[in-house]
Parts: sequence; C-alpha cells; structure tokens
Amino acid sequence: MYELKTLLPQFDIKLPTCMYELRNVSLSAGATPGPAHEDTNAVVERQEKVLKQLEELKAQLGQIRKSLGVRVCGKTFQHTTAYQNGGLKEEPLHDVVVNGHPNFIPYALLALKNAWRDLYTIDVKTFTHSTMADIGPAAHDFEAKLAKVAVNVALPKINVTLIWKNCEHTEMISSPTMYVPIYGEVNIIRYLGRVGPNEYRYESSPLCNEIDAVLDICYQLLRCSTHKSQVAMVRLLDKRLQQQQYFGGDQMSVADIGVYSSLIRMPAITEKDLTPALLAWRKRAKLITQI
Amino acid sequence: MVEEKENVANAGQEPVSKKGAKKQAKAAKKAEQKAENAAAVAVDAAGDNAADHAADRYGLYEMIQSKETRSERQFVSVSELSNHVNDKGLLWVRGRVHTSRAKGKQCFLILRQQSSTVQCILAVGDVISKQMVKFAGNIPKESIIDIQAKAVAVPNRIESCTEQLLELFIEQIFVISQAKAQLPLQIEDASRPENADDADGLNIRVNQDTRLDNRVLDLRTPANQAIFRLEAGVCRLFRDILTDQGFTEIHTPKIISAASEGGANVFTVSYFKDSAYLAQSPQLYKQMAIAADFDKVYTVGAVFRAEDSNTHRHLTEFVGLDLEMAFKYHYHEVLHTIGNTFTAIFKGLRDKYSREIEAVGQQYKVEPFKFLEPPLILQFAEGVAMLREAGIETGDEEDLSTPNEKLLGRLVKAKYDTDFYILDKFPLSIRPFYTMPDPSNPIYSNSYDMFMRGEEILSGAQRIHDPEYLIERAKHHNIDTTKIAAYIESFRYGCPPHAGGGIGMERVVMLYLGLDNIRKTSMFPRDPKRLTP
Repeated sequence: MYELKTLLPQFDIKLPTCMYELRNVSLSAGATPGPAHEDTNAVVERQEKVLKQLEELKAQLGQIRKSLGVRVCGKTFQHTTAYQNGGLKEEPLHDVVVNGHPNFIPYALLALKNAWRDLYTIDVKTFTHSTMADIGPAAHDFEAKLAKVAVNVALPKINVTLIWKNCEHTEMISSPTMYVPIYGEVNIIRYLGRVGPNEYRYESSPLCNEIDAVLDICYQLLRCSTHKSQVAMVRLLDKRLQQQQYFGGDQMSVADIGVYSSLIRMPAITEKDLTPALLAWRKRAKLITQI
Repeated sequence: MVEEKENVANAGQEPVSKKGAKKQAKAAKKAEQKAENAAAVAVDAAGDNAADHAADRYGLYEMIQSKETRSERQFVSVSELSNHVNDKGLLWVRGRVHTSRAKGKQCFLILRQQSSTVQCILAVGDVISKQMVKFAGNIPKESIIDIQAKAVAVPNRIESCTEQLLELFIEQIFVISQAKAQLPLQIEDASRPENADDADGLNIRVNQDTRLDNRVLDLRTPANQAIFRLEAGVCRLFRDILTDQGFTEIHTPKIISAASEGGANVFTVSYFKDSAYLAQSPQLYKQMAIAADFDKVYTVGAVFRAEDSNTHRHLTEFVGLDLEMAFKYHYHEVLHTIGNTFTAIFKGLRDKYSREIEAVGQQYKVEPFKFLEPPLILQFAEGVAMLREAGIETGDEEDLSTPNEKLLGRLVKAKYDTDFYILDKFPLSIRPFYTMPDPSNPIYSNSYDMFMRGEEILSGAQRIHDPEYLIERAKHHNIDTTKIAAYIESFRYGCPPHAGGGIGMERVVMLYLGLDNIRKTSMFPRDPKRLTP
C-alpha cells in the first residue's frame, strides 16, 4: 500500500546469485558509527539517569509504604535474628514429647529442672507406653524425683511429656506436622538450651563452639560400647575441662548438664576412671543438678 | 554243535524276533495288569456287597435323646490332644468335619473344634473296612461327629491345622448331627485373610450381608470366635475392675415413659392402652441411684437409638457399659477413675487375650492397639490448637466434626503414639443442659470425651446436682421443665456431686481390634436395614 523511502543511497551492487540476502535487523544500521569515546560517554550518562530514576522510585515506594503503615525495619530485624541462630524461627514450642527407654533414662531433664529451679519451669509429665510391660525401679525412682521438684507458676515454662517406650534412641517430638523428631539426649539438651532461660542460651556466647564440642563428645560417649573407648572419651572430656570450674569457663552451662547426665547413664565408668579435675567438677555440678 | 546251530538260527531271525519278543512281553504284561485290575474290582464289588467287618464301627448315630449316659467314653478337646500323644488307650473326640476327602483306601478328614483343627486318617486295614472309608469321605462338611482314635506324633508339621504335631488314627466314627450338603457359605472363604496387597492369592470373599444372613455359619470362623470371646473379656474386665473399686452393678429399666435424651431418636412401643419408649441411655437411673446413696454404680445393658444412620459405627441396639460416680470436690476424680478403668481393660486384654487378638489379626491385618499409662488427657483447647497447627480452621466453641475428630486422632497418634486419649473441657454450648459449666471460664464445661483410634467412644460430664441451677440451665436451653420434672425432683432431697459416662461395648471392641465395621463385633447386629436374624 505504502512505499517506504530507502534510507541507503542506491548503490549499484551486484549480488552473487549463490547467496541469500539477509534482512537488515538493526535500526541504526544506517547510522554511521561515531568515535568510541563518545559512545561510552553516552552510556555513562544513561546509567546515571537510570540510577537517578531508581532512587526516585525508591523514595516514592517509601512514601507509599509509610502511608499504608507498613514498616520496613520489622522485616529486616526478623532476618537478622533468623540469621543469628542458623535460620531457626525464634518461636519456641512450649509443648514437647520425649520418648525414652527405661534403660537409657534422660537424666538431663532432671538435671535441667533442678539447675533452672529459679529461672524456668520444665513441667514433666510421665507416661508408660503399652510396648513397655515394666519400666523398672530406676525409671520409677527417676519419676519420683521429677515429681518432687515443685512447679513455679510465675516462671516461664515448657511442658514435657516423657513417655517410657520401647524405642532405640531417646527422641523428641515437638509437632508432627511441622518438624521432624530430634534424636539423642544431647540434641534435646541443645533444644532446651535454645528455649530455656537466657543464662543457658549458649548460641550467642563466645563459648558456643566449645559447648558444642563437649556435647558432641557426650554424644559419642553414649554410643561407646567398650569400656576402653568410654575411658578414651572421658580423657577427651578432661582435656576440655582442664583446670576450669565448668566446661568452657566458670559458669554452669548446658555442656555440664550433658556431661553430668551422660556419666550417670554410664555405670561402667567408676570414680577410678575419672581424673581429679573431673571428680572435683562432678562435686560442683552435683550441687546444682542434685542427682 | 546243536547249541551252535540254534544260535545261528536265532541270529538269522534276529531283526524281526527281538522287536516281536518285546511286543509280546508288553502285551502279556498289559493283559496281566488288566486281569489284576479286574480281579481287584471284583474283590471291591464283592467287598461292597460282602459282609462288612467294620459295620458297627461307623454310621449315623441315632438322635441323642438322653437315653444312655455313655459315661465310659472319655472325651478330649482338640486343643488338649497334644497331652495325649502316643497314649496306649483310644481317645474320644467330638467335633465338626472341616473337610473330608477319600482317596482310594485312605480318607483324610480335618476335625474342627471351635478354633482348633486336627488331621484325622482312616486307612483300610484290619480294623477299618472299605465301606467305612467311603462313608467317612461322604460326610457333609460341618456335620458333628464323634470319633474314637489314637493320637500319633507326626515327623513333619501339618501346616493346615492348628494341631501341627500330631494326627488321629480313627477307629470308630459316628455322625451325631448331619449338616446340609450345600452350605450357603464356605468357612474357608469366610475365614480367608484380607490381604489387599496380595494379588496372587485367592480372592474369594464372603460379603458382609451374606455373612450376617448366615450368621451361625459365619460365627464359626476363627476370627469371629476370637472377636466374641474378646468381647466377653471386655465386659468381664469392666465388671471386675469396677467391682474391685467398690462399684455396685445396677439394672435399669429399658421401657420408659419419657425420652431421656431429647425426643427425636426414640423407639415407641405400645404399652397396653398407652405408648412407651425404649431407653436411649440409663442416664437418669444411674443418677437416681447416686441420689439414693449407692455412691458408685455401673450397668451393662441394651441401649436403643432410633437413628436412621447407615454408617460403619452406628447400631440401633447396642450394649452400653455405663458408670456413674459421686466425687468429693473435683470431677477429675471421676475422669481419672474412668481413664484408669480403660487402661486396666486394655492391659487385661493385652495380657489375657493375646491368643484371640492374634487370631483376629490373622484374618484382618491391623496394628496392635497402643496406649499410655496413665491415660493422656488433653484440653479441648489444646486439641483445637493442634488442629489449627495442621491447617484446619475450626472455631473455639465448635464441636469436632467427624473428619476433624479423625484427624485429631492421627495428630495425637503421631505426637504421643497412643490410640487412646481423653479430651477434657468441651465448650458448654455443645453439651446437654445438665452439664456443669466450668467455674473459671464460662465458655467451657466440666465435660470430657474419650477416643480410641480417633473415634469417640465415651462422652461424659459432671452433672448439675443442684435443682434450682438445673432449672436455670434447662430454661437457657429452652427445655420445657414440666417434662423433666421427675428428673429435677430427684435432686431435691440432697444429692452428692457426681459425674459419669457411657461406653458402647461393640465400638470399644471394634476399635480395640481395629476392625472397619461395627457389625463385625455385634453377634446379631441391629441397624436401620436389619432386623433378622
């Protein structure tokens, strides 16, 4: 319908017949390329313009947010906390189930309960699962000791349902729909250390790595089957303790709870196997854990 | 020389005569066999007609009319046969013919007594005649027979019987009661394990209605035998446990003048010139017994519900296990008593009825029932919170719908690994008018439900024992107080605070065993579509 003017002057070009003709796709195909530095200048100018526009847009959005009452800082704050404790959402579950076999009594629960007497309440209710015909005297004794510690309603608390069950590992179930179970007494101590009183939250303390290392040794200790390997683990613990009051310093921490509980669960380890430093530590810890 | 000649002659004929000789020999052998067979048949025929040397060792026994005591016959039950292996004397056993097949001179017969089976053998010999074997092979299945036999240990286990280490050599066999040759259902089909995964296995089933129409035959399967023995166990344990705790068993009337719980779902019966109702629950009578100073009572009896619900868990007539108990200051005294009663029943079943549970498990594959001791008690609000956490939207004062109830059961199972739990403090608005409100929070009430495998089995509460308050609550629910005047009146002469609850026996058995239909645990179920047998 319409005829377009040709942009190029009509040269008389003889095209070879053996080639296809390609359509010209470039808009500026006809423009003569200027000097290189002029081109870069243009790009720089353009970039600055875009940056300025972005800045304006940001300011605009900020105003819109303000008018709608949305706060930007809240989100960033949440990010930082989540980042600090390794992505865990800071929302402790105050109702957990611990499954334990009567042969592997989680003494840490009682130790923590006693240690946190004036700081935090661990309300433990005990049940026997139908897979256990008899839980034995040690577990009964443990139940009685748990019941003896008074519940202080004024303190923040966590409800623990302890079920004696014919299971392989001590495990903790918080919410079946949202989280997977936590296996091993040491890891349960770690969890309780997160939700418990501030004095025992070890993640932000400089001793974090030390405490984790000690807890890892406890984890291995509980899995040692021979007396020799157990004693080797005790040596490792002694190395960590050295001449300190408690593991990792002069303050009681969850690491001490872990070691104390593990040693009770290992009747094969007698006083002979412990070093004087460990024995002294044990006496100090006993005053707090009261087991 | 002569020999040699003969040899030569033979050698000349060889190619033909070798084959011929073989053929001849074969033919001769065949003829011989034929003659032998014919002789055998002739002997057989002669035997059938000939005098039977075991004629008085088998036959149809005349109808037992208590003519003779036969006290010399010492009967042994099949399950105890193992104590009599290789005894010198002969044993008498009465049982049913489970299967019987005669094969030539032998007859294999499986004798069944309740859930126990044993293999029996008859072989033609000095004692047993051909006719006797034939007779034994032709006894219809399910007939009742008396046998006199010798118990003998076997080298290889007999996999098809419960008594695997022995078999019986029959010497006498009498039919006491003959069954029809055609059975409406085969016991083997009715007792075949339900393996949904096993595609290769025989897939012949008997459907529920056929079973119920021929309940007498159906009840003979090992699983059904076990179910109803276990059901008896539930009742016995309920009675024993409560009696030990100082409860008194009472019996309440089933024909009543007014509907006890609401008016909609009652059966009306003609009562001389008037009409009466069938009791929906012994509630009022339990409470009256409490007001009459019985302190702790329970009752076991039929309960009627005219609900037209055709579900897997509703019957129009079922057995109610009800209890009511006066308490001192807190209804949790009662709640714990009921909860512990359940735990004791579960433990009793687990320890004393393991054989029955196993027998049911062989046909219906289910997970064993799990529970906690002491029983797990959750608040209604906690249950709602668990449901919400799982993404269900439900109101604070909303009753649990059936799907929510089941889901909550699964959540509780996942978290606490228990099939039994108690939900306490239900919202007041969804409970009957006589339920005592919670003193600290007016939304809730002192009422509780108990669940097995996520289904409600008991519903109970602290009842209002103050007549004035009862009238107030009844008015709040828009209930005509003149109609419940007698109920209110029973509290006017002083009544201790009390609470209680009622359990459906069939439901408890169904859920304990993990069965899918309540008709499996009612011997002769009654539902909106079934009045017979």
